[in-house]
Amino acid sequence: MSGKYHFPENLYSDIRIEEKYFVHLMKLNGELVNDKAIADSGALIRVYDGNMWYTTSTNELDKIQEELDGLAELASRNESIGEDPAVRLLEVNREVRLQFEGENNLKNIARARFVDVMDHYVAECTEPTVPEVNSWTVSVGGEYMKKSFYSSKGSEIVYDYQMISGGVWYTFGGNGQPMNGGKQFFGATPEDLSGHEQEVLAERDRYIDFLANAVDVEPGEYTCVLSPITTAMFAHESFGHKSEADFMLNDPVLREEWTMGKKVGSDPVSICDSGDLPNHGYIPYDDEGTKARETWLITDGVLTGRLHDSFSAAALSEELTGNCRAQDYRNRPMVRMTNTFLKAGKDSFEDIIADTKDGIYVYMVANGTGSATFVMNATVCYRIRDGKICEPLRVHMLTGSVFQTLFDIDRVGSDFELFDSYTCGKRNQSVRVSAGGPSIRVRKLTVS
Amino acid sequence: MAVKEKHSTHRIISTMAYEENKPKAFERVNTVESSYRVYEDGKVGICYNIGEISDEEGFARAQADPERARPYPFTPEAGGERSRDKRECEVSDRELMDLAGEYMGYILEKYPQFTFSGSFSEERCKFSLNNDLGTDYSENDATFGARIMFKHKDSRDIMDGGFGFNMRKPDDGSVFRTMADLYLGQYETIAEIPDEIILCMQYYSLVGGLAEELNAENLALGTSRLTGKVGEKVFSEEFTLEHDLTDKEAWFSRFWDGEGCVLPDDKLVLIENGVIKTGFADKRVAQKYGVPHTKTAGHNYGDTPFPGGLNLRIRRSDKTIKELLGGRFAVIPMNWTGSPMDSKGELTIVISSSLLWDGERILGRLPEFRVSMNFYDVFGKEYIGVGSDDSPLYHDKVILIKTNKV
Repeated sequence: MSGKYHFPENLYSDIRIEEKYFVHLMKLNGELVNDKAIADSGALIRVYDGNMWYTTSTNELDKIQEELDGLAELASRNESIGEDPAVRLLEVNREVRLQFEGENNLKNIARARFVDVMDHYVAECTEPTVPEVNSWTVSVGGEYMKKSFYSSKGSEIVYDYQMISGGVWYTFGGNGQPMNGGKQFFGATPEDLSGHEQEVLAERDRYIDFLANAVDVEPGEYTCVLSPITTAMFAHESFGHKSEADFMLNDPVLREEWTMGKKVGSDPVSICDSGDLPNHGYIPYDDEGTKARETWLITDGVLTGRLHDSFSAAALSEELTGNCRAQDYRNRPMVRMTNTFLKAGKDSFEDIIADTKDGIYVYMVANGTGSATFVMNATVCYRIRDGKICEPLRVHMLTGSVFQTLFDIDRVGSDFELFDSYTCGKRNQSVRVSAGGPSIRVRKLTVS
Repeated sequence: MAVKEKHSTHRIISTMAYEENKPKAFERVNTVESSYRVYEDGKVGICYNIGEISDEEGFARAQADPERARPYPFTPEAGGERSRDKRECEVSDRELMDLAGEYMGYILEKYPQFTFSGSFSEERCKFSLNNDLGTDYSENDATFGARIMFKHKDSRDIMDGGFGFNMRKPDDGSVFRTMADLYLGQYETIAEIPDEIILCMQYYSLVGGLAEELNAENLALGTSRLTGKVGEKVFSEEFTLEHDLTDKEAWFSRFWDGEGCVLPDDKLVLIENGVIKTGFADKRVAQKYGVPHTKTAGHNYGDTPFPGGLNLRIRRSDKTIKELLGGRFAVIPMNWTGSPMDSKGELTIVISSSLLWDGERILGRLPEFRVSMNFYDVFGKEYIGVGSDDSPLYHDKVILIKTNKV
């Protein structure tokens, strides 16, 4: 790899090349409506002169050197660029980590292997028909990416990533009141997707029961038990985004708010981000070539870390964390999460419910946001009375103050799950992430 | 006999980005996307390629994977020649940097109590469609736009609001300055939440939700809230919804759909005076469900078409925004989150940060509050209208709707 590009002198520069391949097949009510395989490759070239970045994105990989030279003409040469605080922090790494070569590389997987899995789920999960289901889709597919990174400091990194996924989704209910529900599952090969039939059917039956029996919630404040997927949403949306350090660099109010060592939650709360887990947010190196590592954002309720790129780390005099990411080669990177989770505790789910006299069990949420007042949009909830899960509840949203809710978590379950079905949006860029957590109990949330 | 067809998009975007008041990056993106299609014997082979590729190779690849050839029992369009050019000017990279510096200089000097991030972009796009049957379509468009996010220095939140616009040609800066003054000038004044909450906003996300309900396939399958209601008056007499490719703010639209079909006058009325006239369908859905083919296929480069690609526009009222308000106040939401509609069509919105507007002046910022809406009522009994004029808060048309304070 050495000497592949000639980097201009007295500037920092790097090159990120991505080669991607997508496959997606989908049946809608038995008819094949999606069947595509897409190749996409391109590069982002960046030059930094100590004041500003100059970047260009191109699909023409044979013109990278030309583009690099053109950007260097726009920038101002800086003999002390090596002393720039952000440039000084940037790591020099050299590794080739290719894990998905051979017959199970997405490009080499025969279409028939995907079709077999799709048709299996069609047979097992959509037949015989159920009157409550108006429409269904079964989809399978995957994405493969090989990323190469070269920098003027000497980094030469090549790694790849692959995720195969499938899903069965139903639209329930007629009379103008439809509702969607289903399951998504993941693996390294199409065959890994097998074995989820009973989970899918159980989920289908849960939604059918919900639609038949749900009652409207009486708005108010409730003790809430959040399912693992709801905890995952909270950890990512409601807290995680506030751990991204790029929003606070010149802001004394926020720097004071998020001072390291400050107690920000109850003792059982610990939240971590790590790009080196084999999940949807896997990035062994970030888009500045920094090696991924485990960053504990909260440890036992105390603020212990935040997520950085080289600029935020330099500005706050902290260490790199490997969280500088871009959606793709068309975008410059910024501070983003990877695999973010609230650490498991010791309580069983059954004990948490049994210990809750009066409250709401939040089984499923559609999405969430993370302003100071966070919002999670619930889809399936249940009333808890005297330690038992009772009737299904129609709930619009759960809201609370992030600052208060972290202190209101009083039970943390052992039923930890990491969910790979997420993408995360920020400033018009979407990146793949995973989010996780166990069941938790929150003493008070506003429910409507 | 095989028919070859090529759809392509060439997009160039230059952006000057700012973070926390400072210039962060100058970026340029230059991408070419092509979809090569070969129609033969009721099937279509497709090659979707991002990047440069020769036509010879593209068509060869479209035919190279017969296993993936998709059923497509329709004849491609023989549409003749047509081109449309909506460009009004091109902004050079240097001009873009200068404009960004000028605009940022204005807000940094006048509003030092805020921190600003955002971007200024110039985007150029050329779309084309050609096939063996003589179809030769092209469309060019270019816009200049700004997106600004702001945070008050005393705020504990990551950001408190934002504003932005697109235009085909940069003006003398008055649109930006007016917008900035409206959003920031009275931000520190706390106003009282009015008893009647009338939201004033761009309506694209609201009618985007309506699009799924008007998809002819969803109507046929019973998965739309509007199933069985075509021909019925469901919404307000004042509410007319069109797929309109002539609207001046239809940025980067094409006058043809994903199957090369062109609408008469480039418009399709979906709802007229509250009556649902038709769902929208591509050729497959029209044939399968026996519904009208409305020439509304999405531009799906990687696969066969699906219904979509709409530019939904609400027909404007004869009255101005101020006349529609009739002396009442409007709320301009800046930072808000809405729940998805539940199975009854109900949704709740938490409005964390908003401004109170009397149609001319901003009276101050409102504390956090919540409102609820119903799917039918938003365009029904709670619908006030879309003014004949543009709002300076958005440099665009806006919808006025009544909501219920929760």
